[in-house]
Amino acid sequence: MKKLLFTLLSLLILATPVLARADASPVDFVRENSKQVLDVLKTENGRNTRKIRDQIETMVIPKFDFKRMTAFAVGKNWRVATPGQQDELTNQFQTLLIRVYASTMTRYRNAQIDVKPNAVLNNNGAEATVRTEVTLPNSGNSQKPISVDYTLYKTSQGWRVYNVSVEGASLVTAYRSQFDTEVRTNGVDGLIKSLKDKNAKLASQGSGA
Amino acid sequence: MKAMPIVMLCAALLATGCATHPSNPQDPLEPMNRSIYNFNDKLDRAVAQPVARAYRQVTPQPARTGVSNFFDNLLDAYSLANDILSAQPVKAMNDLMRVAVNTTFGVFGLVDFATPMGLKSNKTSLGDTLARWGWKDSHYLVLPILGPSTVRDGLGTATTLYIGPERRILFKAPATANVADGVQLVSRRERLLDVSDAIDEAAIDPYSYTRDAYLQLRAAQIGGASQASAPASQTPNADDLDIDQLVTPDAAPSTAPSNVKPDASAPH
Repeated sequence: MKKLLFTLLSLLILATPVLARADASPVDFVRENSKQVLDVLKTENGRNTRKIRDQIETMVIPKFDFKRMTAFAVGKNWRVATPGQQDELTNQFQTLLIRVYASTMTRYRNAQIDVKPNAVLNNNGAEATVRTEVTLPNSGNSQKPISVDYTLYKTSQGWRVYNVSVEGASLVTAYRSQFDTEVRTNGVDGLIKSLKDKNAKLASQGSGA
Repeated sequence: MKAMPIVMLCAALLATGCATHPSNPQDPLEPMNRSIYNFNDKLDRAVAQPVARAYRQVTPQPARTGVSNFFDNLLDAYSLANDILSAQPVKAMNDLMRVAVNTTFGVFGLVDFATPMGLKSNKTSLGDTLARWGWKDSHYLVLPILGPSTVRDGLGTATTLYIGPERRILFKAPATANVADGVQLVSRRERLLDVSDAIDEAAIDPYSYTRDAYLQLRAAQIGGASQASAPASQTPNADDLDIDQLVTPDAAPSTAPSNVKPDASAPH
């Protein structure tokens, strides 16, 4: 009897990780991706910036939902935009965000990322906020770790990130009033143009991390 | 340098209430803030940033850490005073221990032994104290030289600068105190280099990006007590915006029926 119990128990313990993988938790999702991105960035040596950026791009694109992010940043004006304009906005905003993401991560590539094990679930478990703490190297002990929170939602292909907050400030909604002003003065096309200009300017600045 | 923020602050307080259609309801002073921002930005690019970058180049990290720790220790002393003013005994005890440990074992604050000992850095400011006693929402205010703030926090900063006991107790001669202020500004600017570079790259309008991020950050810092008022005030429409209404989640509603909120369909 005791032996049976033991066998059942060990089976259960062995099976747990398998069960977990079948429906990966948002925490594992964030942990794995942060690790992958940092690993790639650590191979940066000043000459391969371009290549690294492409690599990051292919890694990151499927993990974020850029359309949702763009809509979140654009806010109520999203309804005013035609589907074509929405796609164009998403494209431009995606280019900008990936660029910013890559260079920010490059700047902090030696940071320690500590992914907190318990995510906050919202909306009946369809949304999750994963908290992480980033400790910068060489910053001295007195620097508090920076809290970076990822908001994810569940899709049929797994979790997707659509919001990132640093110390409680959303990097996505911080765009909202700039976008709003732009749309009010120059319309949705004006916003698309200003995003395009911004991207062109960044691209012309070359590979500067 | 000390009088200037106070003068500007008075101007700001007088100007409150006579602004026209701001892009953020928390920034009725936008025209004035923008001009101070532009002034700061020019000064920053011409002087502060080059100096901070040179400082980063010339001094080794341990030296910079020592300098920033020294000023952090002063801030901890201020934090202690504010913990008492805002009636937070646990934090006050914590900050008292921080100052005691770092001033003695840490050689006048140059080494931060308190953090590895588990004493958290609170850095309660006078603005936090005012927020604690109920002044939660405050209009955005850009201070000359010092940058993003709010009317509440600016008032706190101006008062702290005005009283500035460390000028008399620690530095004695005004010249020494001014040098110390200068070093503190350079040290602070150096620590913010990465953040400002990131904003430069990310923002279309750096002014409003900085403002909105700053206000959200501040709301999160003081929001511990009032979760209701903080997020609602940070951005226009933040509260009544349901992302699932803007974009259908995943375009595959069958997998996530719980995302659809039938009650949230009212147009606005």
